[in-house]
Amino acid sequence: MVTKKRFSHLIRLIGVLLGMNLIWYLLYLLIDHTILPSPLDVYVSLFHLEGQEVATHIGYSLSRVFVGVILALIIGMLIGILMGCSALWNKLLDPVIYLTYPIPKIALLPVVMLFFGLGESSKILMVMLILVFQIIISVRDGVKAIPQNTYDVLSSIGAGRVQKFWHVTLPGALSVILSTIRISLGTALSVLFFTEIYGTEYGMGYFIMDAWLRMDYKEMYAGILLFSLVGFVLFLLVDLCEHKFMKWRKSV
Amino acid sequence: MSYLRNRGLDIRNLTVEYQGGQAALKSVDLFLPEHSIYTILGPSGCGKSTLLRSIAGLVKTYHGEISYNGKALPEQDQVLIGLVPQNYGLLPWKTVQSNIRTAMRISNSGTLTKQQQEQRITNWLESMGIADLAHRYPLSLSGGQQQRVAIARAFAISPQIMLLDEPFSALDAITREEIQRIFLGNWNSLPTTTLFVTHDVEEAILLGEKIIMMTSNKEDPLIVMDNPLFSIKPEEKRDSEQFFQLSKEIRKVMQEKW
Repeated sequence: MVTKKRFSHLIRLIGVLLGMNLIWYLLYLLIDHTILPSPLDVYVSLFHLEGQEVATHIGYSLSRVFVGVILALIIGMLIGILMGCSALWNKLLDPVIYLTYPIPKIALLPVVMLFFGLGESSKILMVMLILVFQIIISVRDGVKAIPQNTYDVLSSIGAGRVQKFWHVTLPGALSVILSTIRISLGTALSVLFFTEIYGTEYGMGYFIMDAWLRMDYKEMYAGILLFSLVGFVLFLLVDLCEHKFMKWRKSV
Repeated sequence: MSYLRNRGLDIRNLTVEYQGGQAALKSVDLFLPEHSIYTILGPSGCGKSTLLRSIAGLVKTYHGEISYNGKALPEQDQVLIGLVPQNYGLLPWKTVQSNIRTAMRISNSGTLTKQQQEQRITNWLESMGIADLAHRYPLSLSGGQQQRVAIARAFAISPQIMLLDEPFSALDAITREEIQRIFLGNWNSLPTTTLFVTHDVEEAILLGEKIIMMTSNKEDPLIVMDNPLFSIKPEEKRDSEQFFQLSKEIRKVMQEKW
């Protein structure tokens, strides 16, 4: 039953992919200009890219994303749990979050570059900035959503603070993290693209913009496809983690 | 005071105030002998839950005394309390088995070997009729099943006192009757000193050795009713004349005092 469902899901994905390529091809016929090469040409140039070089670009992008995500997780969990557990800290920090959350973080890119230079740290920082607010808010809400009763049972049998944190608060906080990452990962990747335009010669953003400047549109589109693929694989990874660690959420 | 008088849960002059200074409980006296089960009936807001929470050590500030077998409760850690709240209080991210295991570890059934621990978990799941659910997660279970897990957990830590706060009130009638029967069966095989809060008259009669009635007026003392039906077989209780009489009596008190 499940495999059948998965199979039909896969079929639909492939169908959509084919459909998109078909539309692309029709547009290519319609526009008939170098700014939109045919999908076939792009795939050909994709396979002609130098593996070593592409791997370096992808590696740079991925490591920036990972470090940014991990930093955001550490900071977001700490602040989120603090706000979820302590009414005082929530009162103090809530207005801060409330005021800074709506700021489009991408607008801070020039500021971050002024303070941290054009190098790696400002790129990682931008990814971190995108994710951290989401994580803080959902971790706080996740911790707050744990019913008091859950603690009561453990308190009544003599659980200490550490035990309650370990068995209740921390898993409660972790339970919301994956869905938060899934939501903000797309934004984080877009921001990463922007940051990779400046001050680097590595990364998918650089690769795409470089091809654009050289007016090598086939390579540019190949880069876009590759970048999309990287994003897709990251999403799959989140899905996989969710499948593995969030079994308890499913009501099967 | 005789030695026997002291065996059990003794609550004297217990007064608890809400944060606003309003009284939640006023001078409550109650004695629950060891190995007996009393049910507590009362209207909402009468302080039933507060009473249980105070005994469980979840209310930090109160006046009066709560002692078990002559020793004051909050100061001594040796008295283990099994709490069964209305919404089960299970950890959703742990399997049924590991929910019980966690409780056993925290309550430090440390004298048991790992094998004995697992054996005890299996035994209690079997007695509650949910052995096949050991590896399931709580959210995938029905309310009745989750409550069985919560009760199995409470029994598994072999507490000295068991406190149940309207445990079956969210369940449908048929599930409730079944779980009442299972609970009573298990209680009879391991008669733990138990307070069982309910708002259901029938449940109070079915499960309680005595029935404590709390009234909305906090100044009134508790009304303690003997339950002659307690020693009767569970399946015969509902049909007996005494059952009818007692519930009539209780309803009369409810009409006058609630």
